[in-house]
Amino acid sequence: MTEYSRMAKGSFTAVGTSAIVNLPFQPDFVEIWNYSIIKTAAANKVAHAWWDNKLQDGSNNPTMVEIYNNASAVVFDTIQTNGISAFQAGQLLQYGPTKQIIGATAANPVVFNVTAHGYQVGDTVVFEGLYQTQFTAGMAQMSNIQFTISVVGDADHFTVKWDGSGSNYTALSASPSGATVKKVLYPFLYVPQVSVISAITLGATTTIVTTDYHNFEVGQQVAFRIPNVAAVPALSPPAWGTTQLNSLPNLLTPGAPNYGYVVSVTDNWTFVVNINSSAYTAFNVNIPIVNVPGLSFPQVLSVGDVNTGGNIISAGSPLYPSPQFPTSTNRVPTINGPAIRGAFVNNTSQGFVIGSGAAAADVSAAVTMIANTNIVYWHAYLHDLSLP
Amino acid sequence: MIVRSATINKIAERSRNDFSPLCGVTIWRQAEDLILRDYVVSAASEISAGGGSNGDNPTNLGVTDFSLVAATLDTNNAYKFMSGIEGMDRFGTGPVRSSYFMLSSTELQPDFDGLMGSGFLSQWNYPSNSSALPSEYGNVFNIRILTSSEAPVARGTSAKGNDVYYNTVVGKQAVTHINQDGFSMNLIYRDPYYSGMLAQNATLAVKFAQAQAITQDTAIRNLLSTRLSNLGV
Repeated sequence: MTEYSRMAKGSFTAVGTSAIVNLPFQPDFVEIWNYSIIKTAAANKVAHAWWDNKLQDGSNNPTMVEIYNNASAVVFDTIQTNGISAFQAGQLLQYGPTKQIIGATAANPVVFNVTAHGYQVGDTVVFEGLYQTQFTAGMAQMSNIQFTISVVGDADHFTVKWDGSGSNYTALSASPSGATVKKVLYPFLYVPQVSVISAITLGATTTIVTTDYHNFEVGQQVAFRIPNVAAVPALSPPAWGTTQLNSLPNLLTPGAPNYGYVVSVTDNWTFVVNINSSAYTAFNVNIPIVNVPGLSFPQVLSVGDVNTGGNIISAGSPLYPSPQFPTSTNRVPTINGPAIRGAFVNNTSQGFVIGSGAAAADVSAAVTMIANTNIVYWHAYLHDLSLP
Repeated sequence: MIVRSATINKIAERSRNDFSPLCGVTIWRQAEDLILRDYVVSAASEISAGGGSNGDNPTNLGVTDFSLVAATLDTNNAYKFMSGIEGMDRFGTGPVRSSYFMLSSTELQPDFDGLMGSGFLSQWNYPSNSSALPSEYGNVFNIRILTSSEAPVARGTSAKGNDVYYNTVVGKQAVTHINQDGFSMNLIYRDPYYSGMLAQNATLAVKFAQAQAITQDTAIRNLLSTRLSNLGV
């Protein structure tokens, strides 16, 4: 009686303890087999997991698992949170759970202390309420900016690219009220996107560091929007400083854009543009906290034609292969491809996530569904009829 | 300069009960709008509102924010969408300046009403409504405001943890979309007999290949704002 049910199956070799599987639908039932564990039994490992989106256990939507327990006996268990789940990255501005910030260093870079944050390098987060003393002291200059985590120190600490060592920053401590962080679930729906600038190194060429992955490629044309903050009292150098990079006005040819081109990409946060900024004003993020209300951020954005950066399928081909976007370890293809040259990458997607949550009953070790190098087979379904 | 984007979008098959309400709107246009919304939020630069009084970052909208954004676009030689509406001898009306469009959330409508008397002119107070769009809420200086429940909102991300609204202000030459050659929009309807063995569901879908384009990046700004107060929306 199937009419619109969707079924899909596939396999992959795991890289880490979580995975994203893109599908042309959002499944309501997923089943995975960890062939590596089925073939070679190992204590505290999951052989089989399945998830139904209608299953509710309190406020949880758990994943059921069949595991080898600490004594290598096969038992049933559950993963109550961060198990399998469906996702749709087709709407911007979706966030993960809000987490309390315990503290943060007023240093360069800034290290945040969040108990059991669960983040990885490459995750993008946004901060709110970074006041040590309400509205008069703290690190609120960093609020409402997307940061891609650059270092995970341990389970409770992570680092973002921002210079918080200035005199106008006060370290956070003792869990300030309202100071929170949350993960941006799908930060790169279209890439390259507008990014906030974290640092600028002036010179014959100009080196830009962004707070999140910039997603630029060599040859990308970029524009700058660097507000001039009228700080009280006045700062030296002024904030944000390097306003000479702004696209307009161009004093030589008024009204003409004054753009730069990316000449090299250092890493996911850093790139170099072909603008000689030797005589420009130094970049400065040491903004007085009194200037936070209404504070616009320094931004860089893409214009022009080289955005996907993919390799052409073959000489003379008008098409790129499926566009990719960066992760902390490699570049991951989007499901949209092939792309036309010069395209922004539409990175919207849907499917299911295999989370890194651990089994609830067997707590003798962190029993996750998959681990590095595991061979995983999966089936995903979207049913016509789901009762009740 | 023209930047391009390739997108193939499809609203999947829906059951008859589900798609019936959608017949009231042009689903193709709605899908296009949502795509363009996300694209613009991702790719266009931002100005934080600072003219409001709530002390947040961004602040709630103040009339100076409208002036600032309009001045920015004017400086960048952006084209306005609408010519002005000349004043008439009608009680309670006032002239409307030539304007850019700003796309805002319906949740901000109380804040716009709060600016009445200091710059905001309700659409119903235009001298003539002939040029007003169905979703048009009003005008502040050189900006005419269109509201939609689908406007982008970043929940709880301001400096004080309040919702941040993306108010996209566009000049005429700022954005467009390009239909890809050989893949024009298809409106697909299959009645139940053809949609499944048991004839239980019909199909209504649109399918199109489209390139979103920011044709002039200096002619578009996302004006970020919070609300004056939380109204429980």
